[in-house]
Amino acid sequence: MVMTCARVRELASGFVLGALEPEEMIAVQDHLDGCAEPHPEVDELGGVLPYIAQSLAPVEPPAWLRESVIEAAKADLAGSRRMAMATTSAPAGAVNAAPAPHLVAVARSSRTRVVPFSAFAARHRRALAWTSRAAAALLVVSLAGYAFVVQNDLNTARSQSTANPYGVIGPNTRVAKLSPSDASSQAAGLAVLQPSGHVFVQVNHLDATSGDQVYMVWVTADHGVTSKIGWFTVDSSGTAQMDFTNVPNSASLWLFICKEPNSNVATPGAVYLGGTISL
Amino acid sequence: MAVPPRTVTPVGSSEDQSESELMRQVAAGEIGGLETLYDRYHSMAYALALRITTETGLAEDVVQDSFLGLWRNAGRYAQERGSVRGWLLAIVRHRAIDALRRQRASVALGEEPDDALPSMLTLPDIWPEVAGRLDGESVRRAILLLPPAQRDVIELAYFDGLTQREIAERTGAPLGTVKSRMRLGLVALRVQLTGQYDDSLPPTPSANGKKGRA
Repeated sequence: MVMTCARVRELASGFVLGALEPEEMIAVQDHLDGCAEPHPEVDELGGVLPYIAQSLAPVEPPAWLRESVIEAAKADLAGSRRMAMATTSAPAGAVNAAPAPHLVAVARSSRTRVVPFSAFAARHRRALAWTSRAAAALLVVSLAGYAFVVQNDLNTARSQSTANPYGVIGPNTRVAKLSPSDASSQAAGLAVLQPSGHVFVQVNHLDATSGDQVYMVWVTADHGVTSKIGWFTVDSSGTAQMDFTNVPNSASLWLFICKEPNSNVATPGAVYLGGTISL
Repeated sequence: MAVPPRTVTPVGSSEDQSESELMRQVAAGEIGGLETLYDRYHSMAYALALRITTETGLAEDVVQDSFLGLWRNAGRYAQERGSVRGWLLAIVRHRAIDALRRQRASVALGEEPDDALPSMLTLPDIWPEVAGRLDGESVRRAILLLPPAQRDVIELAYFDGLTQREIAERTGAPLGTVKSRMRLGLVALRVQLTGQYDDSLPPTPSANGKKGRA
């Protein structure tokens, strides 16, 4: 879509409100990014927006939200420090910890269908809040931070990838180690986000399921919405491999597995394994 | 018609510098800075998230997500581009509308929210010298002074996240009318808040292309 300065001026009000059609929003932004001419109208009109929000009467959120925000920030900080340590400590040949911007574009272009979640969110918003707090409380670590600590797991996965149909780990994949919430558990796993948007999950040392029991796989995207992407059962081997395609696009995904009495559960139970995939 | 200032506070401003220092702390990973910013803006952020999402649980998630976004992107904050308050509220609105859109329909979504905040979120606050003397009541009165049709269009876009086309469908007004109302409403609101008209503002997209005034 060709965009002239005059056209941008016409569209400025819709642009600052985010009310243009998506292709127009992109075209205006591209023009502003590359145009040598000043466009003060965008700043002038857009500058009004914070005052619209200011017209609202303040509303006090629940007190626990402050602690939740701060704890999540602390966990984030811990992850960043681990990342810095991994960057300086990773041995030669370790997984590339640098962000892969091209992967963002690939993931976005896959346009995966978001699991319909409105009803779930409406009925179980308490659970959403719970998952947010749980996400903050559990180990939330960027993938890059794992570059060093999961090297052994990755080497294992690489050796296995030659024998599986997924080509699990490659140059454009992102990996997260899945750790048990119970420190005494031997359960472990890997989640691999592939450029196609698929997530491959491999787990080991899980308790066998029986009857209707399943392991349900949930993801919480970075906007806080949690959805289940599938379930699996485990025999006495304690291992399973899965490939999920209905994964929401997100800059980061907290993937966690819960053992459930059946596959019809609507809210997550106790977290069995979990980890964060970050771009 | 300009709204006379109701609350006059010193401009200039120790609070701006304080915000700058707080953002420096946050960018340096100092939790205390985030705590102070949360204490200062949480009720405004939550009010906006709740107004957009209309669900307490979702609004709580949006607020948490937004403060984390601020925490992770503090190094990209540019003081000359506006206040921390404006920046944070833009993040809250962006994420709340995104959550709202996801809730609305089980349609395939393209662009996803991430920590790489859209550059349009860095639109500056207008006129810091004005911000210091505007309180919520002044802004509410300025908005109420807008013609209802213009106010409705702006609120449908700002709080409900509707596009101009969606607004036209919902209100039954022609798309061109919606665009005109949106532009005129924003220009009028700017004039209400500042008492100034700026010739740099875009012309009304009308057939004869003449520059319009609010």
